Amino acid sequence: MPSPPDSTSRDVSADVELIDVTKRFGSVTAVDHVALQIERGSFYSLLGPSGCGKTTTLRMIAGFEQPTSGEILIAGVPVAGVPPYRRNVNTVFQHYALFPHMDVARNVGYGLRQVGVTRDEEQRRVGEALDLVRLSGYDRRRTWELSGGQQQRVALARALVNRPTVLLLDEPLGALDLKLRKEMQLELKGLQQELGITFVYVTHDQDEALTMSDVIVVMRDGRVQQQGSPEALYERPVNRFVAGFIGQSNTIAGRLSGLDLDGGMASVETPTGLVLNGRITDHGARPSIGDEAIVAIRPERLEIAPGTPSPTAGWTSVAGRIHQETYLGDQTEYRLATDLGQLVARRAHHGHAETTTVRSGESISVRWPDDANLVLVA
Amino acid sequence: MVRSGARRWRSRIATALLLLPAATWYALLLLVPLVILVVFSFGGRAPEGGYLPDFTFANYLELPTRATAFVNALWMALGGTVLCLLVGFPLAYYLATRAGSQRTLLLVLVVVPFWTSFLIRTYAWLTILGNNGIPSLLEDLGFGHIVLLNTPFAVLLGIVYNYLPLMVFPLYVSLERLDKRLLEASKDLGAGRWATFRQVTLPLSSAGVLSGVILVFIPIMGEYIIPALLGGGKVFFIGNALVDLFLQSRNWPFGSAAAIVLILVILTAVTIYLRVGSRGSGSREVSLL
Amino acid sequence: MEPVHFQKLYDDFRLGRIDRRTFLKASGLGLAAAVIAACTPGSSAKPTEAAGGGEPTAADWSPPSGVDLGKTLYITTWPNYHNPRTIEIFTELTGVAVELNPLGSNEEMLAKLLIGGTGWDVLVPTNYTFETYGSKGLLEPLNMSMLPHLDTSRYDQKLLANAEYPAGSKTLFGFNKDWGTTGFTYNKKHVTKPMATWKDFFDLAQTDYSGKVVIHDYQLTSIGNALVYHGYSFNSVDEAELAKAEELLLAVKPHLFAITSDYQPPMRAEDAWVAMTWTNDGAQLHADIPDIEYVIGSDGGEIWSDFYAVVAGTAHREAAYAFLDFMAVPKVQAFDATFHKAPLVDSAGIALQSEEVRSNKITYPDASSLTKLEFGTAELLTNQARADLWARFKSA
Ligand SMILES: Nc1ncnc2c1ncn2[C@@H]1O[C@H](COP(=O)(O)OP(=O)(O)OP(=O)(O)O)[C@@H](O)[C@H]1O
Ligand SMILES: [Mg+2]
Repeated sequence: MPSPPDSTSRDVSADVELIDVTKRFGSVTAVDHVALQIERGSFYSLLGPSGCGKTTTLRMIAGFEQPTSGEILIAGVPVAGVPPYRRNVNTVFQHYALFPHMDVARNVGYGLRQVGVTRDEEQRRVGEALDLVRLSGYDRRRTWELSGGQQQRVALARALVNRPTVLLLDEPLGALDLKLRKEMQLELKGLQQELGITFVYVTHDQDEALTMSDVIVVMRDGRVQQQGSPEALYERPVNRFVAGFIGQSNTIAGRLSGLDLDGGMASVETPTGLVLNGRITDHGARPSIGDEAIVAIRPERLEIAPGTPSPTAGWTSVAGRIHQETYLGDQTEYRLATDLGQLVARRAHHGHAETTTVRSGESISVRWPDDANLVLVA
Repeated sequence: MVRSGARRWRSRIATALLLLPAATWYALLLLVPLVILVVFSFGGRAPEGGYLPDFTFANYLELPTRATAFVNALWMALGGTVLCLLVGFPLAYYLATRAGSQRTLLLVLVVVPFWTSFLIRTYAWLTILGNNGIPSLLEDLGFGHIVLLNTPFAVLLGIVYNYLPLMVFPLYVSLERLDKRLLEASKDLGAGRWATFRQVTLPLSSAGVLSGVILVFIPIMGEYIIPALLGGGKVFFIGNALVDLFLQSRNWPFGSAAAIVLILVILTAVTIYLRVGSRGSGSREVSLL
Repeated sequence: MEPVHFQKLYDDFRLGRIDRRTFLKASGLGLAAAVIAACTPGSSAKPTEAAGGGEPTAADWSPPSGVDLGKTLYITTWPNYHNPRTIEIFTELTGVAVELNPLGSNEEMLAKLLIGGTGWDVLVPTNYTFETYGSKGLLEPLNMSMLPHLDTSRYDQKLLANAEYPAGSKTLFGFNKDWGTTGFTYNKKHVTKPMATWKDFFDLAQTDYSGKVVIHDYQLTSIGNALVYHGYSFNSVDEAELAKAEELLLAVKPHLFAITSDYQPPMRAEDAWVAMTWTNDGAQLHADIPDIEYVIGSDGGEIWSDFYAVVAGTAHREAAYAFLDFMAVPKVQAFDATFHKAPLVDSAGIALQSEEVRSNKITYPDASSLTKLEFGTAELLTNQARADLWARFKSA
């Protein structure tokens, strides 16, 4: 098996490693020069819109697809040409793929039977796995009699019973309703922490990724856009796509008018002449004065007050009117018509004590601190 | 209450009316002939042939003279069915795993020969198996003189050739419908190709196997043209005996008795088969999904 | 009928008559046989000589004027027994489309007539069936006024008399199409032992030519010739004699290549070297493959004649009579015979045949070879002992 000379010297704490992996289906490039290092015991999420190559990446790790180029290592060993049944990796499939001709216990014990464990041991471990997913007593049930959430747990037990080093999950909660999904998210996360198994989790739901993951990899068109912790991605999205995909943002376009690359700061001048100061999120970027740039501001950072704006140092203030107001339960969303165009602000409710009362059509001032300005240069 | 009662009656009448054509059809084409067969089987033969009212068990008592024909048909039906399955399964599997356009083409290729008359196709085998066909080829290759035509081998070959599509299509349908993700799940859980085939593919295509076997077995039991053509009248099925009894010696009562026993033999075989076939793995429920 | 009668008639006419089916069995296989015959190179079944001035035309026969013949006609007959062109000409002259329905045997014909509802109009039955058909009312007596071209005075009266019911009543239920014998063919290329009798036939079938012999799937001829082997009458229904015949047949069965009345293909392919054969098939085979000889058993066997007859209650009576009348025209008979090669009965028809046909020793054999032959008796059609024997033999 060909492997780069330095493959043995790599950090073996990486359970799964993708080195410059590309996968093409004819003229479609599903995965484009992807490099990942998935730490042992971490909860790793692949997040991105439909068709961005998440499933393909997962299938290459599982062994159902071979990379067109690049290399995959599992526990430090290159796995090119190793068939799925010889990889110590198990998958929870998007639609569970439970065997309809077997009851729950036989489904869960399937992997154990392939390696020839004794009947007693199979029974014992199946029992344990069902306990783990809180399905004890369901051994003899037919899979099609189970609810979606129960089926999902059987699929999970069936994968976990083999004690894989890595568990791959392809949108495992996609078919569940919102409430159940939230519950299962917590359960899955708890399970992962309890067992210490590496989870590679595919989802296109940003909330899910933010709730559960240690590391999120945002993909688009087969390429990795950014990877990092949920906080890092939320607070420092490196480009407009990530900023839009994770959470919501107000974006204001302009040109760079001032740069402090060492301090990671920049000034952006809008076509109306307003200058916004903020952090450059992409530390690797080397922009120059005059380049186009985008300033992103999270809606919850905008403050609204009745009356006209009064300029304050370290703050940006603009005048506007409330265009639309949407009650969202725990918060209210405001659509604002301002000198900078339409902006969205959000305000959380703290109990009943509403401090300000602003109404649609009313003239207001909007302001936010400079540290809320995220300068995106790509 | 009154309204829902009236509605229930109306729906019952509608159901009855909708089922009427099918019921009439079955009554006329299945039940009536069956009753006639039973009545005839206890009758006597008219002097010039046909049926003479009587009540006798003589026809049933004479059935052992046709034992060979029964046994021939039974063995050939079993052998033919097993061979069809062995040949048909890989073919169906291959078809089911091709890409769309290629699959359509291959399916058409499987069917096309069957657009020509059954007789002409079977007649072609007379030439292929005859002296100037395969035997002369084998002789040239130094295998000595081998007779193929008018042997049980030729009949079996004709049976497999003609009944193969009846086996392939239900198999194809069940394999095609089989969720390919289950095969990936199996491999993911550590099962190799063969283990996956044995534990997933086979049980999940058992509905196709079940119907294919029945579709093939029953008509072979009643087959008479293939043995007549490729067996040269020497490989004799109960179907041939029935043709002779009804269309040559005009012994309708004896023919009726033989036909009734044939129906019973088939029913018994199929019942046993369904019992045994559906016992393993509870795969039958799947087939109904 | 006694051989003596025929001897006399035969002398009178110089050449023969009578004929019947080519046969096939079991299932209506005639159609496939026709197709294969048409596709196999060297197959006969094609008109080779321009007999009596060639194809019949409107000058030779035209339909009765002012009569509505209808559109279709169903003829139940034997395979390879009619020149397709003859049928075409009839359709051209009358506008009546003819559907030929070839059957396997007289027994099958009777079985279906007894079941009823056949829709058949014209039959081509063999001499031994008329008593049963007449007594059962399955055929209708011929209406001579509708057959202006039929001149029975040109027919051998004894051959014609087969179609009388009741016998000797002069009420005709059919007229002769042709006649023939049931002998056997052998291929000289492989068969070197002399074969002249049914004794030779059945003995050599079990020894030198084991695996290469075909007998008919037909109780009349196969049982009949096995009886002749033992020196009994072809028509015997004697219990002890039939038992001996059955014993012989069962002993021969494992040595046979086939039990089939469709023996032309295996003879042509040399799968079989010897086959029980009717005159017309023998003539067709010999014409295409000169190595194949036709032999009339010198120890006995069958002589037969086939007839045109009208089914009782036919739905197309006018068309049926028109067809019979057409086939009664000597020129039509001579033309049709170029295809089927069976000997004719109508002396005017024979007179129109070419010298080549009339001197063909298979079609028109020497009278001396016919002396021991027997016509099948009426009893054989319905005799249960023979029917059961045959069914038993085949399923053994
Ligand atoms: N077997 C295949 N043959 C051809 N193209 C494929 C194949 N599998 C995937 N693709 C293509 O590769 C791209 C990535 O597909 P992939 O299934 O990895 O997307 P995904 O991110 O999982 O999307 P989703 O969220 O919809 O599941 C798509 O454009 C898809 O059409
Ligand atoms: Mg996917």
